[in-house]
Amino acid sequence: MALLTGAWAQLATAAAGLWLMAAPTVLGYGGFAQSVDRMVGPIAVSVGVVAASGVVRGVRWLGLALGLALLIIPWPAGYGTIPLVNSLITGGVVVVLAFVRGAVKDRYGGGWSALVQKLLP
Amino acid sequence: MTAGTQPDQPDAPPGWSNNPSSWAQRLPIVGLAMVGFAVASSLALYQWRIVPSVWEPFFGEGSRVVLNSGVSRVLPIPDAALGALSYLLDAITGAVGGTRRWRSMPWIVVLFGLAVGPLGVVSVLLVILQPVVYGAWCTLCLVSASISLLMIGPALDEFLASLQELRRVHDRGGSLWRAFWGLEDQAREHKEEGEHASWRS
Repeated sequence: MALLTGAWAQLATAAAGLWLMAAPTVLGYGGFAQSVDRMVGPIAVSVGVVAASGVVRGVRWLGLALGLALLIIPWPAGYGTIPLVNSLITGGVVVVLAFVRGAVKDRYGGGWSALVQKLLP
Repeated sequence: MTAGTQPDQPDAPPGWSNNPSSWAQRLPIVGLAMVGFAVASSLALYQWRIVPSVWEPFFGEGSRVVLNSGVSRVLPIPDAALGALSYLLDAITGAVGGTRRWRSMPWIVVLFGLAVGPLGVVSVLLVILQPVVYGAWCTLCLVSASISLLMIGPALDEFLASLQELRRVHDRGGSLWRAFWGLEDQAREHKEEGEHASWRS
């Protein structure tokens, strides 16, 4: 089952994703920024929820790509002030959270890398 | 097994602190899958118009817009009916087999992992489509997607345990094909029983 010990950073990533899904309505912006946030949001929720399980904690690194997207996309896309600030803050938070592994109490027999490591001579 | 090593988890895989095939780990996933089946079934009943309306407390016409959208009817049966079938497959493949199934039935564990994983991905994609393409949300669709998502991580640990077992069998020169169907495990159990018997004598 979900071994949530030490998964606060992943749950925070999921919360950031939920916020992105709601932000266009809450802050009242539309257009391209709305579409981006409503696509990145559910993906961030997924990454956070899945990576909360200790056995796939490495999935949290996908959050790095999502956060960077939130930091970069607004500039060429010409966001308004409110979605711009929101995207930069949320993106920064998601990037930082991707680096927080957190505690994993359980052991998984070498994890996923054990599947390929022994193949090497 | 050495005294004091994982006394509560005798069937845990080598190097694991828990047995991912224990009922404590599997029953919550099976329960989630059954709730998902109920939710998806209710949505399918609406899409078939067997029931005339759908429960939508938050998004007004949202559920109706999403559930009657073009994407939901791309396939011969409504997408929620397909979701319900997927949840059923999750529940069945989650429930079949004993607490040693990570090595005694890798085929069912792999099928379980494959059923849970892609279903979750599809759910998330459908959630993305809702507001971006149709400008509407659907409460029960979001609930269903959340359930799919919650099952992925917990199902993957058992998936990993089975893959590691197949790897071990491969490393000691066994047949992956036989191991996948649990035949190597049966043979080894038989041999170990024989060895134990000879030590005792």
